[in-house]
Amino acid sequence: MKEGLFNGMNIKILDSQLRQYLKTKATPFEISEKLSLTSVSVERIEKLANDFCYEIEITTNRPDLFSVLGIAKEAAAVLPQFGIEAKYIPPALRNNQIKEKFPIEIINNPKLVNRILAVVMEVEIAQSPKEIKETLESSGIRSLNNIIDVTNYVMRTIGHPTHVFDFDRLNTKKLLIREAKGGEKITTLDGKTYTLLGSEIIAANDKDEIVDLLGVMGLENSVVTSNTKRIIYFIDNNEPIHIRRASMDLGIRTEAAVLNEKDIDPNLSMDAMLYGISLFEKIAHGKQVSEILDIYPNKPLSKTIQVSLEKINKITGINIDTQKIIEILESLNFKTNLKKDSIEVIVPSERLKDIEIQEDIIEEIARIYGYENIPSVLPSLTNNPHSFINNFYWEKKLKQAFKYYGFTECYTYSFVSEDMYEGPVSEAVEISNPLTTDFVYMRNSLIPSLLQVVSDNKTQEEIKIFELANIYNKKNNNLPDEILTLSGIIKKRHANFYEAKGIIEQLLFDIGIKNLIFKTSKKNAIGASLFIENTYLGEIEVLDTDLIDFELNFEIILNHATAKKEYKSFAKYPPIIEDLSVIVGNEVNTEALIEAIKSQSNLITDVSLNDTYLASRTFRIVYQDEEKNLTKDDVSKIRTQIISSLEKNFKAQIK
Amino acid sequence: MEEELIGIKNTALSFILEAEDLQSLEDTKLQFLGRSGKLTLAIKEITKIPLEKRPAVGILANEVKKTIEEALLQQEKLLSKKKNENILKKIDVTNPGVKPTLGHLHLVTQALEEISTIFESIGFSKEKYPEIDWDYYAFSALNFPKDHPARDDWETFFIKGEEDKKMGKILLSPHTSTGQVREIEKGKLPIRMLNIAKCYRRQSDVSHTPMFHQFEGLVVDKNISITHLKGTLDYFVKSYFGDKRKSRIRPYHFQFTEPSFEVDVTCGVCLGKGCRLCKAGWLEMGGAGMVHPNVLKAGGLDPKIYTGFAFGWGVERVLMMKAGLEIDDLRLLYSNKLEFLSQF
Repeated sequence: MKEGLFNGMNIKILDSQLRQYLKTKATPFEISEKLSLTSVSVERIEKLANDFCYEIEITTNRPDLFSVLGIAKEAAAVLPQFGIEAKYIPPALRNNQIKEKFPIEIINNPKLVNRILAVVMEVEIAQSPKEIKETLESSGIRSLNNIIDVTNYVMRTIGHPTHVFDFDRLNTKKLLIREAKGGEKITTLDGKTYTLLGSEIIAANDKDEIVDLLGVMGLENSVVTSNTKRIIYFIDNNEPIHIRRASMDLGIRTEAAVLNEKDIDPNLSMDAMLYGISLFEKIAHGKQVSEILDIYPNKPLSKTIQVSLEKINKITGINIDTQKIIEILESLNFKTNLKKDSIEVIVPSERLKDIEIQEDIIEEIARIYGYENIPSVLPSLTNNPHSFINNFYWEKKLKQAFKYYGFTECYTYSFVSEDMYEGPVSEAVEISNPLTTDFVYMRNSLIPSLLQVVSDNKTQEEIKIFELANIYNKKNNNLPDEILTLSGIIKKRHANFYEAKGIIEQLLFDIGIKNLIFKTSKKNAIGASLFIENTYLGEIEVLDTDLIDFELNFEIILNHATAKKEYKSFAKYPPIIEDLSVIVGNEVNTEALIEAIKSQSNLITDVSLNDTYLASRTFRIVYQDEEKNLTKDDVSKIRTQIISSLEKNFKAQIK
Repeated sequence: MEEELIGIKNTALSFILEAEDLQSLEDTKLQFLGRSGKLTLAIKEITKIPLEKRPAVGILANEVKKTIEEALLQQEKLLSKKKNENILKKIDVTNPGVKPTLGHLHLVTQALEEISTIFESIGFSKEKYPEIDWDYYAFSALNFPKDHPARDDWETFFIKGEEDKKMGKILLSPHTSTGQVREIEKGKLPIRMLNIAKCYRRQSDVSHTPMFHQFEGLVVDKNISITHLKGTLDYFVKSYFGDKRKSRIRPYHFQFTEPSFEVDVTCGVCLGKGCRLCKAGWLEMGGAGMVHPNVLKAGGLDPKIYTGFAFGWGVERVLMMKAGLEIDDLRLLYSNKLEFLSQF
């Protein structure tokens, strides 16, 4: 499930910062452990000179915890469950009540921005005081100057990104919030130029020049400089999907963008505004000179969820006391009304995006109650019988056989480059967003990958490798066919076709496949095409004097594999075994000779090629009668027939 | 006649003593005691001598025969012993044996066989689903909203071609969870499913390969609760990692489970005390959770009646978490260096 794909993001918070809003005797290690067990994972805790730094992973559903205040509130809910006293102390925020109107007309698009707050302030730009600098740097944020530092400090404390413009450089009567048009160019405050793709949220001045890339990064033409005297402190709560697209497409992964794309509670915007103003006053001689403009078209709706008491027990598997449930929910800022068989839960605004159904509420109850307090029970076995002699059984069996035949198993990537694809790539299953040009086409043969392994292991004189993996065939308007395929390579001096053939014959014989047919390959290769009766199975190819490969359709093997065993009673009468040496032209197949010999009498129970020497082939012939002892005369008659048949049909010489 | 018998005895005894191997001893035996051996022939002659002398000669002949037989037996023992000594002297037991070539199964195969056996022993049955699948099974049916980041081009591999109106794009499964709704849709309850398969994500670094393997468990039944997830997890951890390792679940977030968990196992090196390889004694193994009601619904089940749990863990990850396998770059697993593969 996890493994990087839907991961959260990490935040660094100082213990001293946290304790401004959290009153508790818990040690940093206790806070860290209890949070990890019931809330967010504290990945690391680092000891500093006079402080501790927590590195915390925040999952994407909890942007409300991406701040000092968020963590303080959560810790205050969690710690008492472990018998440790803890209390959340909210920051003291004050509204200055200035009458002066905000001087710029802002035209918002409610589809793009949920809320805009803006204020004009007079400031003195300078370096931040030591403690602000140190706190920022320890939290992984670079300290630049007191103005920029305030915006970052507010974001980290409250959990809402903020922005400043130089009011005088902005020099406009109007700001228009709109989607960018494709091809518009911007220069960000770090001096890099980007061409916009369209759909980014931007602010344009009265000359229609872009002055901000909202929610992602400020621009060079409106950023504060060392000469800045007046600023607009600007807070924008944005539609998250626009932000993510802009940030990912342009490759600008600022902390503000990462937060903004998570859908932050717009009710936090005002806290961020008031806290920011107080910080400008404190560290930048800030003076608020306009009212706070508040454009708030998209207020969150309140939400009530019914949670059935029975459902709580069903999912947790235990009975949790109703009073305990209410206590837990209220500690997390939910409001509750106890009904007959259920609890009516009112969701706080910071959790509106995350809490949707009763299972979400049950998670809140269960995690704070403590997963370690829930017992472990194995689920019962079921009444559904299933055979263990299934495809997985055969896969395992054949892999084991290969291992004991001296083969080493490889796992190569399912995607290959154009060079490694067999045939025209227009027929390939193609990845539209490959990671590199080496991984573009879903392969239709394992052989090129295995040949790559051979060439990557040049120093090995003898190599026997195999792989069992899917190959892929494109289908129109449907999922591609996935064909499980078994392939192998033998590399050695004087590699022998018959070795590869013998291995395949033995392997398949062992799993009950006895009617294997080898025909001269119709492909442009020296080798054989394999069939089980009339069904095509695959190929053995001789690539070079020291290199042989084979590739078999494993699905067909699976269709024919059988674990069925048959007992045949022992023969009552002994066989007579004779060798017969025959010289024939090399255009004659051994199989044809064997068939010819066999067809002479049904007393011939087996014929096999026993030896070859120059042009001579020696066949071992087994004669046996189930009803009686064979005599020399019986055999001699058949032998005469065999010889005359071979002489007649194959111009054979008999030695 | 008596002299002849004594002469035979002496000749025989000297032949016997001079025999250097069992074969020449056997020849000597035939020469004297065989059907036409010297002693046999001499004894046949006894009938030709006068009757009164016969008993004395008969007794002598018997003594001669007995003496020769005893001498033969004696020498045979001696020579047998000598023969064995000669053979044993020729074996240097420290010389190398004649070994058949031994191949190697890939570490991933070895891990997935072990994992399968553990889950099969508690009633899970192994299933297989498409590796290349619709967006629907990978995301939509698993409660991912339309614009979820996991669907972005930079996380998941997509296949070129037209989008299906209902099923969406075709993609390489980014997780084994793609099998969940496919399994529920079969309508065969209760479910105890295990799915081990190749997965693909757009990532490549020391701890990620673009192709990897996951194993997914899905249990759906009436009254399945968190207790059962914990029970299954404990059973797996103890069976796979050993009795000394412990497991725990912590809150996490996934779209398709609610509640969702992160699963930790105590570190194999410090066994939970805390060391530089782990986080305060714990290592993350992967995700798990109670099946989201929307996922049950997508598969056609009523979440009021049925509940379930699911987990999906990385095969490579649990392999690395086993003590003894400190592989510092995961990409080595798929490098197919024979020097690496032949170690296992």
